[in-house]
Amino acid sequence: MPRAARTDTRVDLVLAGVCGVAALVCLILPAPMRNATAAALRGTVVAPLAALQERAELGRKAFLARDEALRVADSVTLRSQRLAGVEEENERLRRLLGLAAAVQWGFVPAEVLQGRGLGDEFTATLSAGRREGVEAFSPVIAPEGLVGMVEQADATLSLAILWPHPDFRVSAMVADGSAYGIVGAHLGGQGAERYLLELRSVPLRAPLKPGALVVSSGLGGVYPKGIPVGTVVSELKTGESYARTYLLRPVVKLPDVASVLIVGAARVRAGLESAWEVGAATDAATRRVVRAADSLAALSRRRTADSLARAAARPESTRKVP
Amino acid sequence: MTPARAARLAAVFLLLVALHYTLRPALAWRAPIDFLVIAVLLVAVRARPGVAALLGFALGLVSDSLTPAAFGAGALSMTVVGFSASRLKAAFFADNIALNGVFVFLGKWAFDLIELIAEQRLRGVELLVQAVFWSPLAAAVTAAVGLVVLLAVRPVLGAARA
Repeated sequence: MPRAARTDTRVDLVLAGVCGVAALVCLILPAPMRNATAAALRGTVVAPLAALQERAELGRKAFLARDEALRVADSVTLRSQRLAGVEEENERLRRLLGLAAAVQWGFVPAEVLQGRGLGDEFTATLSAGRREGVEAFSPVIAPEGLVGMVEQADATLSLAILWPHPDFRVSAMVADGSAYGIVGAHLGGQGAERYLLELRSVPLRAPLKPGALVVSSGLGGVYPKGIPVGTVVSELKTGESYARTYLLRPVVKLPDVASVLIVGAARVRAGLESAWEVGAATDAATRRVVRAADSLAALSRRRTADSLARAAARPESTRKVP
Repeated sequence: MTPARAARLAAVFLLLVALHYTLRPALAWRAPIDFLVIAVLLVAVRARPGVAALLGFALGLVSDSLTPAAFGAGALSMTVVGFSASRLKAAFFADNIALNGVFVFLGKWAFDLIELIAEQRLRGVELLVQAVFWSPLAAAVTAAVGLVVLLAVRPVLGAARA
């Protein structure tokens, strides 16, 4: 081996030896010195690498936490959606209570058991039947207005046709009584328009303005007077030259209907003219009562908390010993 | 080695060190890839044994500074691996991809064994399991990645010296 090569090998060996010895010294250093040296390195040369590692680990944790965060967000969204549904149902039930208070007697409350199947959207099964006093041709109403009519009453259930049903007819009038007609389903409508109503046979001399409220007229003996049916959208062009036909937007949205009242024959004869006005007033009164009860409850809670705080703050010697 | 080639080697070396502190913690595998060993071996086969030992020592210290309880263990093992790799490569190995894989595997395993013994953290069965199961597994993963790295940088750095 040439001398230069031998010298290089020696240098390499010496370098490696020095490094090895230095590493061994590091290993046997007392803990305080070892920590101080490591800290010095971490604060200088290794700082950027430590920062890189920290960011990488944070990134990984964020990546892993993403799924969990998504799950939490999903459940929160689901709960908030359910809460909105519950609040809506609560509101509807309050309004139904208001209507029931306004109608006062001669009705049967029922739940709507909708099948949601093909062809079921025009009929509904109600959770009350003959045993509860339900009869065929009884009007079915909701807080918003007319829902339909009982077609068939079984012992415990009854079947009702709803306002989009082809057989649905109600004698109606504009709320101010200026025009009369017959309301039925808008059978010629396509898509969403199928879920509108028609007010037919309105005299030519009585043009109606969009937005006018149409209520049952009480003629015919099936539906009592004054039940809201729909609001005028526009006039329909038909081939009739002796009467007008109007398109109505129903006041009752069927997907929202869960609870209804079935009005008995005696109540129909007695009339329901003021029920919706009274119902609205009762509803407002119910809201006021609930608000007042809430305020009283809050006040009571605050007073209790104040008393407890005062009792806790009182010196030990002044407290009564049982 | 020309300055341009040395610069390229330094760039690849720094990239591997950066990967060790970014990709490795991001993956967090139980048998992790040791980019530092790959970096040391990559340089060791292209540098003199003394330089390789010095580089291994420095990189080992950097690694140890983040685990002060075993401060020096990584430096010692990396010094040994760097120096041995440089000596062995010069003496025995030609530029063969498969042999390079085996070389990285043995280098990483040797590194782990020396570190395990030097740091004296594990004992008994735990030490045995780590030494004969997890360390070879990590070495295999490191060797696989090392081969990929070698194949990727070969056009840039050229073949190692024999």
